[in-house]
Amino acid sequence: MNELEQIASSLGLPETWEERNGSWWMAPASLDVRVMAAVLRSHEARFVTLTAMQLLPDERIRIDYHWDLDGRLLTFTTFAVENRVPSIVDLCEAADWVERETHENFSVEFTGRPYEPLLLRTGDASGLQLRKERS
Amino acid sequence: MSYRVPIGPYHPALEEPYKLDLVCEGETVRDADLHIGFNFRGIEYLAERRNYAQLIALMERVCGICSNVHTLSICQAIERLAGIVPPERALYIRVVMAELERLHSHILWAGIAGKVMGFKTMFMTSFELRENIMDALEAISGNRVNYAMNRVGGVNRDIEDPAALLHMIDGIELALNRSIIPIFTKNHTALSRCVGVGVLTNEQAHSLAVVGPTARASGISQDIRRAAPYAAYDRMSFDVPVETSGDVRARLVVRALEILESCKILRQALSTMPAADWWGSKKKLKVPAGTVVSRIEGPRGEVLYSVTADGASDTPKRVRVRTPTYANMPAIRTMLRGARLADAPLIQASIDPCYSCTDR
Repeated sequence: MNELEQIASSLGLPETWEERNGSWWMAPASLDVRVMAAVLRSHEARFVTLTAMQLLPDERIRIDYHWDLDGRLLTFTTFAVENRVPSIVDLCEAADWVERETHENFSVEFTGRPYEPLLLRTGDASGLQLRKERS
Repeated sequence: MSYRVPIGPYHPALEEPYKLDLVCEGETVRDADLHIGFNFRGIEYLAERRNYAQLIALMERVCGICSNVHTLSICQAIERLAGIVPPERALYIRVVMAELERLHSHILWAGIAGKVMGFKTMFMTSFELRENIMDALEAISGNRVNYAMNRVGGVNRDIEDPAALLHMIDGIELALNRSIIPIFTKNHTALSRCVGVGVLTNEQAHSLAVVGPTARASGISQDIRRAAPYAAYDRMSFDVPVETSGDVRARLVVRALEILESCKILRQALSTMPAADWWGSKKKLKVPAGTVVSRIEGPRGEVLYSVTADGASDTPKRVRVRTPTYANMPAIRTMLRGARLADAPLIQASIDPCYSCTDR
């Protein structure tokens, strides 16, 4: 079993990796992002960033978590449930700024963490930049 | 008793606006808060309202130092999504532009570091040297800042006489070996400001997921040019300099050695550049639906672009930009804890921060 299969197995995911355009993608039906962060950290993967997106108004926010494993870019795709996603910042401090920025751009609530403004200033409204139904 | 020292958002110690709030006890920094967003331009919002040709011009303006990095990243992303393979000569020209940009960026940083240390001769020497590279970039592209070299599927201009650049590279290497590298590695004034200052340990660097020369100065050897080669980097032979002390001196030495490696890459790319088409496909661009991620190694480290298209319109649905300074800046807080207040400007400058990139 190679390392990518080991990661999928540790996460209990039945899905397989898809190699596409130079990176590896996984879009599980159900993903516990905190378990994902813990497993990838245990494999010494580097957290690169996350990409949030909403392609149509009122659509759920999609979040791609990007990790680097010895030069291979791994991406896990998941969706915010009722606009909420568990924060991974206590497991991976590198996720701090990007969770704050995503909260500002999409009004996504990363649960279990405090917030302070990153790109916006105190009192500015969140979700105005990149949510399709508001921008 | 502790007191707070605000630096910025507009301050002579900072090259661009951001804010540091230092919590000090006596002359020792105990903690620091970083505040960014003073250069926020909403570029990711604007990107969803530009067609693919306009998008390249927009992304070139993310950064005023490494503008080529951003056009290369976005073009590479669109090419991967559309299944376009640029011609070989275009890939070599991209390597030349990327390495010239790395050279001028690293030498610019050497000058800034000299200025922050109070070493004005170093500042002047570096900027004089950098002018040669700016002249070369201008000769190739017609521009000194926004080169407009990359297009989807190729490059906009050829390098008609690659051999003419080799002489300039010899001169840079000579000047580096004669002045800049000895100053940074042997000069007492420089060393007294750098050794053991602003340390980021290997463990901290892993935890904070820093990238580029900041990571390599803390013993992390990753370089995207080697780990996940793009353009023509898989045909180039070069070393990835790594230091382990994690202090300002290590960051300085890594960048100085990277300049020499860039010279090595430039010589190879210029002397083995295939004589062929460089413009690439002349067909109308059609971008299918999907998401693609593109990474390259900029002067400050890994740049990541994620582009999502719907396959129907000529504008992307989402463009995400993660710049290297965005990954590296939180480490400044760690580097500053326990440092002398007088070293704070140099420590924050030692990651070679680009705040415009960070804020986008």
